[in-house]
Amino acid sequence: MIELERVSKSYNRGQVKAVDDLTLTVKPGEIFGFLGPNGAGKTTTIKLIVGLLRPDAGRIAVEGHDVVKEPLAAKQVTTYVPDYPAVYERLTGLEYLNFIGDVYGVAKAERLERIQKWLDIFELAAAVTNPIQSYSQGMKQKIVLTAALLPAPRVMVLDEPLVGLDPRSAHQLKEMFRGHCDAGKTLFFSTHIMEVAEKLCDRIGIIHRGKLVACGTMAELKAMDRTEGGQSLEEIFLGVTET
Amino acid sequence: MIRAGGAGGGAGGGAGSGVSRFRTIVTVIRAGLRSNFGLATVKHRLFKEKKDRWLVWLIAASFLGVAPLFYGIAVTIQKVYGVLKPMGQEWALLSLGFLAGQFLILIFGVYYIISAFYFSRDLELLIPLPLRPSEVMAGKFAVVVVNEWLTVAAVVLPVVVTLGVVSRAGPGYWVNAALVYAALPVIPLAVVSLVVVAMMRVVNVSRKKDALILVGSILLTVLVLGIQIVLGKTAGGGGPETSAEVVAKLFASPDSLLNRIGVFFPPSIWAAKAAAGGFTAKGLANLALLWGVSLGLFAGMVGLAEMLFYRGVIGLGETTEKKRRLTRDEMSRRVTSARRAKAAIFGREWKIMNRTPIFLLNGTLVAVIFPAFFVLMATVSSGGGGRGGGAGVPIALLKAMASANPLIVTLATALFMTVCGSLNGTSSSTFSREGAQFWISRVIPVAPREQAAAKFLHSYLVAALGVVTAGAVAAIFLREKAVHLAAAAGLALAAGVLLTVVGMAIDLARPLLDWTNPQKAIKQNLNVLLAMLADIGILTAAFFGVKALIKARMGTGATLAVLFAALAAVSAASYAALMRFADKRYPTLGSNL
Ligand SMILES: Nc1ncnc2c1ncn2[C@@H]1O[C@H](COP(=O)(O)OP(=O)(O)OP(=O)(O)O)[C@@H](O)[C@H]1O
Ligand SMILES: [Mg+2]
Repeated sequence: MIELERVSKSYNRGQVKAVDDLTLTVKPGEIFGFLGPNGAGKTTTIKLIVGLLRPDAGRIAVEGHDVVKEPLAAKQVTTYVPDYPAVYERLTGLEYLNFIGDVYGVAKAERLERIQKWLDIFELAAAVTNPIQSYSQGMKQKIVLTAALLPAPRVMVLDEPLVGLDPRSAHQLKEMFRGHCDAGKTLFFSTHIMEVAEKLCDRIGIIHRGKLVACGTMAELKAMDRTEGGQSLEEIFLGVTET
Repeated sequence: MIRAGGAGGGAGGGAGSGVSRFRTIVTVIRAGLRSNFGLATVKHRLFKEKKDRWLVWLIAASFLGVAPLFYGIAVTIQKVYGVLKPMGQEWALLSLGFLAGQFLILIFGVYYIISAFYFSRDLELLIPLPLRPSEVMAGKFAVVVVNEWLTVAAVVLPVVVTLGVVSRAGPGYWVNAALVYAALPVIPLAVVSLVVVAMMRVVNVSRKKDALILVGSILLTVLVLGIQIVLGKTAGGGGPETSAEVVAKLFASPDSLLNRIGVFFPPSIWAAKAAAGGFTAKGLANLALLWGVSLGLFAGMVGLAEMLFYRGVIGLGETTEKKRRLTRDEMSRRVTSARRAKAAIFGREWKIMNRTPIFLLNGTLVAVIFPAFFVLMATVSSGGGGRGGGAGVPIALLKAMASANPLIVTLATALFMTVCGSLNGTSSSTFSREGAQFWISRVIPVAPREQAAAKFLHSYLVAALGVVTAGAVAAIFLREKAVHLAAAAGLALAAGVLLTVVGMAIDLARPLLDWTNPQKAIKQNLNVLLAMLADIGILTAAFFGVKALIKARMGTGATLAVLFAALAAVSAASYAALMRFADKRYPTLGSNL
């Protein structure tokens, strides 16, 4: 569960209002898709949720833990995949996974099982003993994803996770999303791919200039749209983000 | 025209006339200097954003703090000058100064050259440009030369300036000294470059490049030092001589001492004679010799670069490990069982530091190189002594002192240990080194204070390593008593906590996280310099404290005990403060990575 209550965040001492009075709740078992034009405030919102940024105003809680007041408790139940996979180039993939397992306190048996499962799915098993330096961009992204899955967190937050993945890996990732949430967990991700959001998400939020301009299930979004042709998510998106 | 990398042989006539080629070189050099010394950013931060203003004051204050040290050096030089002058040996000091500078350049040159030539990220931008390999390398070389001017200033300039003032030198001295200073780094660096470029050509075709680079650069350094020592010894002429004879020989004719010292690296003789001679025929001839050899070696290096440079650079980032699936068993062994978070973070620090050559060379290895440099300088300034396996004059002197005053010995040894262990970039780049990966530290569920504690442990281990290596030198070369060594180690370990904390605090206050080239995180990181200045300030304060204790006629044991207690107390307090600072500072860092 992720709760944002009247959250605001601006950059450059208030000159750029990146997130403006945002209120949003993502319930357990829900896949939430976060859409919006470039520069709308998606990454900023995500960084606020995972504690990389502090809100200027408002309250954010993950699984009931306030991310500012109880950061460690919130972090313990959350994992995050950034939009750009910057990872320790000098460690091997396996060393990185072990590091993440250690800091999240994942016991050996679970660690082994999950690592093997995801390495197989992402076809990384052969590269895992090589330094991350030698990975392609997509492989780096997959090792970050594997690391995020390793603690089997209650909440996963991902910033444009599908960018750069090949079709097979993207497919596997979407399957994983479904499985994760069927187990009663929460998933929040941003994307620019309309079909993915439409097919995969239980609920969708569209942010524009820092404000949430639409939010709800596909059915709710369609009902909200007053123009007649507005039946696809793309048309709805274009409608609510005009000007 | 696109010149294939490493096509070599200087084949392509390429883009235009000599004049425009010269202009390209100048442009490359200028771009290199600008991106390396980041004057634009400094200016911007100082005058536009008005951010780092306090830094100016801090640096000014630390220079004031260091001033007494330089004053002491100047006074010493003046005294020695007074002794040597009647014997016609006064310029020996000058050659010693230049020699020390050139030694420093030789020792650190290996790392500087390797990092500038092979590990700067802008190579990826430069190589596709229509430039010759030699032009790219010349640009990089210029950057290293400027770096060296700054590095050796603290060693060479006090000697040059003091001697000039004391001897009431004319303009000939100053002009020549400036020209000598300009050329000073070229010969050692060119020699190092020649060897490094050849070495990297070999390294690049091998597996395990990082390990080879490391081993290679250490071997090179040892080799360079070894050659110097052998040069010095053989030049002494065969046959056993009594020390009286040796000493008599040293002072036999004017400048004989200068020549004797310079034997270790003849360019230092030319340098000293060029400056001392001023505008006389002798001075100018030596100046010409120095510049001639410098330019010759530089030309040779450029020629070699044309053939070998790109073959060493291109593909250096490739790793050659084979891809292989682990069996279930292997996997099960390599997936560790849950360690404590602190241990995991320590392990990460350790691995990343030791696997990134630039980090290792500017951090951990300094703790080994410093003692080596000390041993070398001590044997050298004995005038090539060391014959018959015995130690040189200064070492004998130090030994004599060691038996005379246990307090001074202990303090001096502790200082030596502290310098070896703590005056490196390990602690003052500990946060910067994480760079773009700092987001990981921000999102993992580990309290900042615990992360900082793990980092402290890592930096402190390096400081302790310095204590060990310095202790070994003191035990082997100075035959110091075990009690003195133990007391010194106690003091150095206590001081090490404080200096490590100070370095970490400075880096935590203004970490450099947005680098793409690991050099920026440690070698070109202002925090490392600031931490060193702060360290010198702290050591100066400790010095005055001890002086007061001695004046108060405290006994040796009591003085040491008071100093230790004071250091331990300040260290403990500073450590606690660092933990609080980490908790406060972490949430504000690296959010825009
Ligand atoms: N570090 C920063 N400093 C100043 N302004 C920033 C910073 N990061 C983002 N912004 C501004 O905040 C606003 C929101 O940016 P954000 O990165 O959240 O957008 P986004 O929705 O993720 O866009 P994209 O789809 O391009 O990833 C933009 O106007 C951007 O210019
Ligand atoms: Mg974004």
